[in-house]
Amino acid sequence: MLAPLSWLKEYVDTTLSPKELGERLTEVGLSTEKITKVDDDIIFEFETTPNRPDLLSIIGIAREIAAIEQKPIKYPKLKINLKPSPHLSSHLSSGSTKSVLIKTDPEINPRFTGIIVDNIKVGKSPNWLKEKLLKIGQRPINNIVDITNYVMFELGNPIHAFDYEKIIGRTMDVERTKGGELFKSVDGISYHLPKDAVIIKDKENVIDLCGIKGGFKSKTSEGTKTIFIRVPVENAILIRRASQALGLRSDASSIFERGVNKGGTIEALSRCVNLILEIAGGKIASKLYDIKNEDFEPWKLKLRLSRLNQILGITIPEKKVIGILNSLNLLPVILNRQLAEKNHSNKNRSFASLSGAQDDIRERVIECTIPTYRNDLIIEENLIEEVARLYGYNNFPKTMPIGQMPIKQIPYAKDYKTEEKAKNFLKACGFSEIYTYSLINEKDLAEQRLNPQHVLRVDNPVSREFEYLRPTLKISLIKAFFQNKPNFTKKNLFELGKVYLGKNLDEAKEAYFLSGITNAKNFFEVKGILERLFEELGVKDDPSNLIEILNEGVFFEFNFSDILKRVNLQKKFIPLPKYPPIIEDLALLMHEKIKTIDIIEEIINHNSLIVDVSLLDQFEDSRTFHIVYQHKERNLTSEEVATIRSRILKALEEKFKAKLKE
Amino acid sequence: MEEELMQIKNSAVSMIIDAQHQKELEEIKLAFLGRTGRLTLAMKQITKLPLEKRPDVGRLANEVKKTIEDTLRQAQGKLLDQESQTRREKIDITNPGVTPDIGHLHPMTQVLYEAVDVFKSLGFQTADGPEIETDYYNFEALNIPKDHPARDTQQTLYLDTRQSQSSPGEIILRTQTSSMQGRIMEKVKPPLRVIVPGKNFRYEQVDTSHGFEFWQVEGFCIDTGVRLTDLFGTIDYVLRKLMGESASRRIKLKFATTNFPFVEPGVDTYIRCTVCSGRGCNFCKMSGWSEIMPAGMIHPNVLKAVGYDSQKVTGFAFAIGLSRLVTLRYQMDDLRLLTNPDLRILEQF
Repeated sequence: MLAPLSWLKEYVDTTLSPKELGERLTEVGLSTEKITKVDDDIIFEFETTPNRPDLLSIIGIAREIAAIEQKPIKYPKLKINLKPSPHLSSHLSSGSTKSVLIKTDPEINPRFTGIIVDNIKVGKSPNWLKEKLLKIGQRPINNIVDITNYVMFELGNPIHAFDYEKIIGRTMDVERTKGGELFKSVDGISYHLPKDAVIIKDKENVIDLCGIKGGFKSKTSEGTKTIFIRVPVENAILIRRASQALGLRSDASSIFERGVNKGGTIEALSRCVNLILEIAGGKIASKLYDIKNEDFEPWKLKLRLSRLNQILGITIPEKKVIGILNSLNLLPVILNRQLAEKNHSNKNRSFASLSGAQDDIRERVIECTIPTYRNDLIIEENLIEEVARLYGYNNFPKTMPIGQMPIKQIPYAKDYKTEEKAKNFLKACGFSEIYTYSLINEKDLAEQRLNPQHVLRVDNPVSREFEYLRPTLKISLIKAFFQNKPNFTKKNLFELGKVYLGKNLDEAKEAYFLSGITNAKNFFEVKGILERLFEELGVKDDPSNLIEILNEGVFFEFNFSDILKRVNLQKKFIPLPKYPPIIEDLALLMHEKIKTIDIIEEIINHNSLIVDVSLLDQFEDSRTFHIVYQHKERNLTSEEVATIRSRILKALEEKFKAKLKE
Repeated sequence: MEEELMQIKNSAVSMIIDAQHQKELEEIKLAFLGRTGRLTLAMKQITKLPLEKRPDVGRLANEVKKTIEDTLRQAQGKLLDQESQTRREKIDITNPGVTPDIGHLHPMTQVLYEAVDVFKSLGFQTADGPEIETDYYNFEALNIPKDHPARDTQQTLYLDTRQSQSSPGEIILRTQTSSMQGRIMEKVKPPLRVIVPGKNFRYEQVDTSHGFEFWQVEGFCIDTGVRLTDLFGTIDYVLRKLMGESASRRIKLKFATTNFPFVEPGVDTYIRCTVCSGRGCNFCKMSGWSEIMPAGMIHPNVLKAVGYDSQKVTGFAFAIGLSRLVTLRYQMDDLRLLTNPDLRILEQF
């Protein structure tokens, strides 16, 4: 939303510098994105939050400034004030009465306010009007369109003027689309309408896409003499859905989907009619139409001072609270205690019992009357925010939460210690950590011979590059490896990140994988690292099958979430042996295809006095094993060891045809 | 006797001073103080002196012994220094050190672990949850019903629901770690202090300060009597810690009102841009400030949705923009540096 300072100043006197004003507005919730100097004016660019449609109008922004600076608001003066009366307006000359037949449904169009103006002269807008529109980025079209636009930006209620003569049959039927209807908008673009958009039809055509854009055929142009001006309240959800389905946004639709000022239609229409009569001439030619099912009056909202102070954590004096609420035009009234209790006891028993013990003086209730343009103020907490934001968030003291430290186990708990241990371990082994995207492309999958049909996919990817959820970290690690090739000869990279498993959403499962790639370590070095890592985590897994030898180097990958479930960091001290071990190396000849692990297992399982067996070295068909014999309670004799040894050799010969090397 | 002792002292001291090597000192020590050393032998003679002379001579002998020992110690120290100096002179100590083969942890990891620690010190527990999320936990449980305009600020990536039981639009990639509020709160009762670090996804065009994948640290604290000032205090403490504030590195923060349907009052936290020191740059969109930590008091509707009595318990919630925090902490001018696996970047951390 763009807002020229000169325009704001028409409604409120501001004494702050533009920079200060921008900062204060940001603090109270209207984020100032940019302040630009244009000629002799200052243009503010604001980002409006979804709850504040009123801040999509100049008057709304002026009201915020008025609240900040404790200044009054100057509303535009009107010569003619339209009155919601069933009788014809007093300004209506009885001779030239015109009318339309309106058929509407408050369900899809909560309020339909309108009037006919006759004998106007369509032409260029006066300079002041054109300049104002240009400053907020609007293109002037003709005086009628410009005035409706101007009043929308001024007051926040979207307005559309139809060429009365072009409304075939003088009927306006507000209805939902069935889907597929053709509609040509004021700017000449044709649309096929989605289902459940709200439209106005005359006897033949769709003449308005409600809340989004007016129709081409009934737009005001050079020859237009009579206009029907419509100021509606549209159904926020229907407008939003239609606008999304069409990918079509307008200033009006932004206001409607946030919730327009439901009580403001007649005021906006009055302002519009006044300007039209002043600029384009003409006279009112119909009664004031105002079709609605509700009154759209201001509503009451209560604020307990005790609740205010409890939630904010500071005691703001009652006077100050009243002052703030007044500056926001919320008409605060202090209710007495009796009344306060009566109103709260039914709704809120828990509160009544809580507050019973509290100090009488603090139990004050302030009742506000909420203007219809503030449809974001619905619950007590909304009023608490109003007070807090104008008190100024940066004026609050800072405290820390008091009360119990929660200790019970929470669901989804994660202990980062294990992860940290694993990462630090890999770091110590020379690996550097990378973070890569979870989303990958189809080509990447194909390169790893993964079937895209069996990989989870995003329906509306940002680009085809980021379409699939990675089922492995391998793809990005290999890419990272190649990216570093020009600058580094030795590369050790790892990532601990989520992968997304399952062929379709029903089977979808997320898991943390720990993967790495290296060209500086061989298979056995990587295996040793993983063995030691698992030992560190108290997990007895064999990493042999987690390692792959690629053209580029050695790659490993395993399901870290699985490991996490089995981590055992408990340690128990084993006393040092009191008696010395007997250690010997056995050199054996055997077929090269025989697995070392089988020999080691055969030896170690042979006798409980053998406490450790390892492969010392290997050359062709010869392997040397390092064997440690030990007895916990006494010294071993060489005779004992000799007996065990000969049995081992016998068994190895029988099972593996292994022979002691001479 | 006294004369002999003085002679022993003099000759020992002069020999010690002349000594060039440790070995010589060892020999001198042996020659004087050893079992058959000159002083040792002389001291044995004291018992043969008349009784009245023994105390004086004895005292003198002890003094001599102490002098020799002290001189020896000094000389040894001096020689050690000299020898080490000579050894160092034999090599060029300005040659580079041989660095052990140790890798680097990603800056995100480093700041994330610090965050976990800082919050742990404030009694916050840590949780982890799914990135493939339902529309319910991501939006509806957070007071953002379907068709709410607030959904525009979090454009969503939807998952392909073909070949599955799910209906289109129901399963998404979470847009915010706040999705974990409902998941945790519906299973346990307050008091609660929880943080949930994690990755989020949005349909967003990538630029220097936005990405379609980014990290947050969600947090919430719910108890009887949790106040807005507690939120301000917590944010202030945590951000200063995580930004590594020190006397030479002052962190500037400011709060502003904002609106998220799941908080009321709503708070936004801005940090003075460290890339440009507040002068304005591409990273902070020329504003000098960077939005770092949206927060607020948890909306009564969110508490009600999980069966809490919003009149009895109150709470605050926040989401630290972790990716942005990491870049700001290290004065990196582009969020994309965090997902760039270039070792020339990683080795700086």
